[in-house]
Amino acid sequence: MKGRALNKLTAVLFWLTCSLSLKAQITLGSTVDTFGVLAGSTVTSSGPTAVLGNLGVSPGSAVTGFPPGQVIGTIHAADAFAGTAQTQLTTAYNAAAGAPSSATVSGDLGGLTFFPGVYTSSTSLAITGTVTLNALGNPNAQFIFQMGSTLTTAVGSTVVLTNGAQASNVFWQVGSSATLGTSSFFSGNILALVSISLGTGAALQGRALARNGAVTLLSNTINTPAGSGGPPPLATPAPSSLILVTTALLGIAIYQGRKRIFQSFRT
Amino acid sequence: MFEQWRTDEDMSHGFLVPFVILWVIWRERERWRALPAQPNWWGGALLALAAILHFAGALGVGLFAESLAFLISVAGAVLCLGGFSWLRALAFPFILALFMLPKLALVYNQATLPLQLLASRVAAGMLTVAGIGVIREGNILDVGGHRVAVVEACNGIRYLLSLGFMGVVFGYLFDSRSGMWAVRLTLLAAAIPIAIVANAARVAAAGWMPALDSGFPHELSGWFIFVLCLAVLLITRQLLNRMYVLNRS
Repeated sequence: MKGRALNKLTAVLFWLTCSLSLKAQITLGSTVDTFGVLAGSTVTSSGPTAVLGNLGVSPGSAVTGFPPGQVIGTIHAADAFAGTAQTQLTTAYNAAAGAPSSATVSGDLGGLTFFPGVYTSSTSLAITGTVTLNALGNPNAQFIFQMGSTLTTAVGSTVVLTNGAQASNVFWQVGSSATLGTSSFFSGNILALVSISLGTGAALQGRALARNGAVTLLSNTINTPAGSGGPPPLATPAPSSLILVTTALLGIAIYQGRKRIFQSFRT
Repeated sequence: MFEQWRTDEDMSHGFLVPFVILWVIWRERERWRALPAQPNWWGGALLALAAILHFAGALGVGLFAESLAFLISVAGAVLCLGGFSWLRALAFPFILALFMLPKLALVYNQATLPLQLLASRVAAGMLTVAGIGVIREGNILDVGGHRVAVVEACNGIRYLLSLGFMGVVFGYLFDSRSGMWAVRLTLLAAAIPIAIVANAARVAAAGWMPALDSGFPHELSGWFIFVLCLAVLLITRQLLNRMYVLNRS
């Protein structure tokens, strides 16, 4: 009983520490926000890849595999727009790398659940199975994973977002290269210093952003989430309940008095 | 209560509830006039309970407690003056009066986010079924770059309260025969899924057609969908009524 209470207290303190340490919110710039794929040297695709969002490369210029790959957006190869996006990516990468850590993680994250915070590994990280990111009901909550070298996900692995977590608020700051396994499902923005490779059929709900190296795609689907740095989405409030109930009561009044109304029209 | 009706658009129907109550009392005047007055001292107990609740509300328990105290004190006064037969005769106006009460913060705060997320999920589902590509991130829908957010004011509470209230009124007007409580309750229960689906449809429409996402067109589409809800509620009532008649025969 006492142990359970202690566990709860520890969990609360841990969550509090995580929350307090994540004071600054990381935002991608408004230009890089529009990219689903951005590379430093080349973007290479094989098979029916679909990118929902812009695709770019800078300072390199080589983009191959589109078509048969499809970009529902614009391809920016070594143009000023891609250059601006790379500059913003560097800023975001440095901000993510410099965010004060709230916990240290290591090895394989598979099977674990993470709450909003900054998680640091000095070496590499792997994901086998399912990783759950739980925003505790706060759609603005951010998750930042900092790693010194590689990020590797296994075949069929999944990153699940729950309780209001949003892909645009998840940042994977990768010290070297990221590799997503075949048929895996990944969520969040991958900010890699070098390169990013997606295995056959892997799906990414987020962005693949490589600063210096290549992005390699193999029949993948990349859904770029709504940007965190763009204009805020429009709220869609319902009409006030006064208008709604007045309408309904008027409808009833007309329905109830329909005979009298018809009679008055006849006479 | 008046202040909340004025400032909270979820509760602004509160202005109309007293008029509906007065109309119901007037409509039933022959019935309750015929009842003999049998003053009952239990009314005093209710008045005392209301006073305690009001005091607790004033100490900080909340506006809901104070407003409930007001209703209980009215019930106490009715009991003191006319007895249980009067209170029974006025039971329906008291049920209607519950819709004037402010939202219970404890329940509302717990329900808001799940309702927002539910509306987002159902709206995204509707768009997907209609063949429209949508990305949902929590409470935000992105339809080809057009983003709409299901914020607190979009959670469906307005439809839910308005439709719930109208469900009760419909039940009173059209199903007043004795033994039809099941029909009335089912009608009230039916208002919940109808309101949830309608609110999601409203959000989906705003996501799909940027012209409907703000201003007068947005208000109009919300109003139109509510009118459709009323029609669905009336059809549901008709079906329930038929089932009831069939069962009786």
